[in-house]
Amino acid sequence: MATFSAEVFQNEFLPDGGTDVHAIVTVTCSGAGEAGQTDSGEAGEIVIVDTSGSMKGENIVAAQQAAAAALDQVLDGVWFAVIAGSHLPRLAFPVTPEPAMVRMDSQVRAQAKAAVGSFFADGGTAMGTWLRLATKVFASVPTLAQRHAILLTDGINQHESPQELSAAIEQARGLFQCDCRGVGEDWQVAEVRRIATALLGSVDLIARPEDMAADFEQIMRQAMGRGVAEASLRVWAPQGAEVLFVRQVAPTVEDLTPRRQEVNPLTGGYPTGSWGDEARDYHVAVRLPAKSVGQEQLASRVQLAVGDTVVAQGLVKALWSNDDTLTARIDPAVAHYTGQAELAEAIQDGLAAKAAGDTTTATAKLGRAVQLAAQTGNDEATSRLRKIVEIDDADTGTVRLRRAVSKLDEMALDTASTKTTRVRK
Amino acid sequence: MTGTGSGVDAEATREEGGMPLVDVALSCPACSAPIGESDRFCEACGAELTPAVAPPPQAAPVAVARACHECGGVVAPDGYCTQCGAEAVSERDHFVETPAPWVAAVCDRGIRHSRNEDAMALHAGAEPGSHAVLVVCDGVSSSTDSDVASLAAARAARDLLTVSRPQALGTAATRRNATARAMEVAVDAANDAVIRNTTAGPGNPASCTFVAAVIQESQLVVGWVGDSRAYWLPDAGAGQLLSVDDSFAAEQIAAGVARADAENGPQAHAITRWLGIDAPDHTPRTTSLDLTEPGWVMVCSDGLWNYCSEGEAMSVLLRDTASTTGYAPLDLADGLVDWANAQGGQDNITVALARVGPPTPVSTTPTSTAPGTAEAGTTPEPAQAAYQQEGTPDGNVLS
Repeated sequence: MATFSAEVFQNEFLPDGGTDVHAIVTVTCSGAGEAGQTDSGEAGEIVIVDTSGSMKGENIVAAQQAAAAALDQVLDGVWFAVIAGSHLPRLAFPVTPEPAMVRMDSQVRAQAKAAVGSFFADGGTAMGTWLRLATKVFASVPTLAQRHAILLTDGINQHESPQELSAAIEQARGLFQCDCRGVGEDWQVAEVRRIATALLGSVDLIARPEDMAADFEQIMRQAMGRGVAEASLRVWAPQGAEVLFVRQVAPTVEDLTPRRQEVNPLTGGYPTGSWGDEARDYHVAVRLPAKSVGQEQLASRVQLAVGDTVVAQGLVKALWSNDDTLTARIDPAVAHYTGQAELAEAIQDGLAAKAAGDTTTATAKLGRAVQLAAQTGNDEATSRLRKIVEIDDADTGTVRLRRAVSKLDEMALDTASTKTTRVRK
Repeated sequence: MTGTGSGVDAEATREEGGMPLVDVALSCPACSAPIGESDRFCEACGAELTPAVAPPPQAAPVAVARACHECGGVVAPDGYCTQCGAEAVSERDHFVETPAPWVAAVCDRGIRHSRNEDAMALHAGAEPGSHAVLVVCDGVSSSTDSDVASLAAARAARDLLTVSRPQALGTAATRRNATARAMEVAVDAANDAVIRNTTAGPGNPASCTFVAAVIQESQLVVGWVGDSRAYWLPDAGAGQLLSVDDSFAAEQIAAGVARADAENGPQAHAITRWLGIDAPDHTPRTTSLDLTEPGWVMVCSDGLWNYCSEGEAMSVLLRDTASTTGYAPLDLADGLVDWANAQGGQDNITVALARVGPPTPVSTTPTSTAPGTAEAGTTPEPAQAAYQQEGTPDGNVLS
């Protein structure tokens, strides 16, 4: 039985006239169990592999091995299917004319691996059509409570319009989660990130084809460890207050604000997908009407709900004081994650400016990123930034753009930009 | 709220070891003469002596209100309102007592203070005007645990005044003397209660003020230590402040400074006498009044009177408040607490009221400024024995 807990980190003291309350809420899940093995319902997995013409050669071989490695991790009893993606995607397994899934067992696993081994590279890339097919395949098993896909691509979405991709993403939103991986340097991080963000999944770069199998194995193992099919973050704010933003800040930065679904007029629900044994941090900011010094009130209830049941709650408070020593302090967790969120933004903006040839903006943004990475102790980001810029002074953010930069290093910096380090508590 | 007076020698504590609680059974409740433990009648006045009995159970303070005190919304199990997020008041932060329909009190944390160090305890006989005890204690906020001490003090005094009820023998004067004597014993008990609840060790020991009103038939006796007050607010005419604060401000007033100036001066809230282990003297000053006309006995802490000090102004405030709340004592006390909070709620607020005479004023009075009081007097009742009495209507300071 999964158990959840919530812990709040904040400075509840506001100065006279102060209105904005910031808090980091850490939600921790333990005893999640395995996907499809708990009371929450059955689980389904779809492996979507790019089999377009560009995959020819070592990529398609690596993709075959990666898909097989993923299938090895799918637990017996879990429903699954494999989709071969091109501009005309097909259900590679089970081999049926209609969308379908099968339950995993040792015999079926061998058949599926054989089907994957016959992948051949041909055709174009239209990821929206892959998502549409996956949506239909998941819908063929109505008993599924948990739906997850892995999507692998190596190229740009050339054979459909961005609008078609957007429509397909919207159709899939809320129906399944999707972790996305790009192999090589010919795919667009922003395009694939769009899919991953909407479908509550991760996006990452696989620089070398030979790393693909290990990555797929890891993604599928993690998916199988998510025994809580679906949970929603709920944020209550009092009458007359405004929720400024709701942001996941660890393990990655995701702005949840636009995903609000009304639970009741004072409470918004934000889908968080499935949960394994893990901790996620959320940054909640609420603007209150100021009260007089000495007064106290609840600024927010931050809850995790599984179905309609609230399984954990953290209370964010506001207490007005005229003691400067109390009100001036910024909570270390809030400061840390505010910096990490700005770091992600600075990296993405800097790389976009660099791609557009705007050297001045790129230098300023990436310089700020270097400064923030140093301040928040994100050594991984610092070492990735170092491959793109010469750091003259990390404290002031003084940098120079490197002349020769590997495309893969840029993509690695981009995909990793949203990964945060935890605050040292 | 109040800070202890800086000019008082705090070392003048009580004598070592000796602080026996004076047992009421050892003095005649009618005339205060000493009596033996097994005496059935008083040697001095002949009053029949009934053994002291345990006080009747009092209504416990109400549980945490499920409705939010700020907006009326529902309070969640986490202790905060589901609508406005206000913290639900705890039992200690806001409680009421209504021992009988004619007596009620509200004790409230106010707005600015983080806890409620005011306390009150009431007793009342079922029959209007028969017997009532109203005790208010205001914990000194600069001391430790004064919220616990003030409540223990109020209850200890209330319990004593409830049982030490002079019998219906003797003259009004002997009854008055007996009640005044009981008041001293009650303050001893209250002081002992404060000391019992004083945490050992460094820091300011717990301390509080004391004011009590005892209504017996048509006689009112008031006793106090500190700056909590008693008022007599007749339906007709101006109200009277019955107590004289033991405060730096009162000393200035006595020396000729205008009340308004003294009560708003820098040391206005310094009290010169209090209950507690460091109190040099806790003997209450007392006064009495024969209740010859309908009106209200009010006992309150400075959380109310800071905003409305003079007796006349208090009368006006009471009538104005009643014009919206009506004349049920609890509603009226609640309305006065709300009013004090609306003025800023700078301190804890306690208002205790006992109605003397018919439940609603017989008619409006020329001094009333309340526009809505006329409607309340639609059921005139003849003035009855409860408040027709001998003696002067003026406060008569006994000690």
